Amino acid sequence: MKTQVLLIGGFQKTKYLSTSLIKKGYRVTAINADEKKCLSLAEIDKLSVYHGDGTKPFILEEANAQNADIAIALTERDDSNLVICELCKKKFNVKKTVALISDPKKTDFFYRMGIDSVVCAISAVANIIEQQAFLEEMATLVPIGEGRIKIAQVPISGTAPTVDKMLWEINLPKQVIIGCILRGDKSMIPRGDTRILAGDVLVLISSDKHETAAVQELTGW
Amino acid sequence: MRFFLSKEKDDYTIIVGCGRLGANLANTLSDRGGSVIIIDNSNDAFRKLSPSYGGLTLTGNATEISTLSEAQIEKASAVVTVTNNDNTNIMVAQIAKELYHIQHVIARLYDPERDCVYREFDIETICPAVLSAKEIDKLLNMPVAREDAV
Repeated sequence: MKTQVLLIGGFQKTKYLSTSLIKKGYRVTAINADEKKCLSLAEIDKLSVYHGDGTKPFILEEANAQNADIAIALTERDDSNLVICELCKKKFNVKKTVALISDPKKTDFFYRMGIDSVVCAISAVANIIEQQAFLEEMATLVPIGEGRIKIAQVPISGTAPTVDKMLWEINLPKQVIIGCILRGDKSMIPRGDTRILAGDVLVLISSDKHETAAVQELTGW
Repeated sequence: MRFFLSKEKDDYTIIVGCGRLGANLANTLSDRGGSVIIIDNSNDAFRKLSPSYGGLTLTGNATEISTLSEAQIEKASAVVTVTNNDNTNIMVAQIAKELYHIQHVIARLYDPERDCVYREFDIETICPAVLSAKEIDKLLNMPVAREDAV
């Protein structure tokens, strides 16, 4: 059985997400309240599209919400997304519900209401902007596990304090490990006695709280 | 008796949504001497309140927690959500119940099908469609009753 994903509301996000999910082999259904947007979504190959208000139980039923494994609420309104997820969970027994919210202060409330995963677009975007603006040294950063764990790619410049040091000499927080060193076109899994050279790119795996400290320690930023 | 009850210190009602129902309710409660605050995201909506309305008004989005704390929700004895959007009513009611443990939470709900979302949260609901249907049904049955009487 293919995993069934139900996307409710949202247009650009649904377009992008459904294309990517279908490519990965999921069966995707989209619900949108705007007829024109529905027509545009229907152009995506293998995507089933339903027109209607996803906060109404009968629309969800029409779109076979009871068969969905994951429901993702992407409308612009927090209250709609809450109700969609609660209906999916309680009325249609969907295993996993994901809600997009715009007010970061309500994240905890949404979790308390039984929503499995809460994504706050504003805080996520703000975090990325902050990284780009204040941690220029850091090239890319991938949050996983709801953002609790981050994989970061840290280039080491010639002026960094860690250049020519061995890994065991660096005072890294315990919750951080250097998973890989990219040197030129080679990659290597480092050991305690591996020496860091200028121009290396380190791949860090860290908890979100220690990532800034680790990057500072490594780059001297 | 009612009058004295509403004079009690604890009696503080927050009404969310200043439509016909919200404004009417706010006027009634305030006339009775209760302390009331009514929240709406449009300043113009407060024109529906009667000139004698003695409660407070607050312009803002009640789905935002900052607005609710500005209205001192933690002191409220009752929260009534009567905006024209069912989902807003549901969310504000759930915030009031779950985060602030308000004793009395009442929500107006146009669509009775969303009932399952409320049920386990101990939120009282008023559904105009169901009430009207009952009332109309009563009226329809009335002539029959009269015929019986004659």
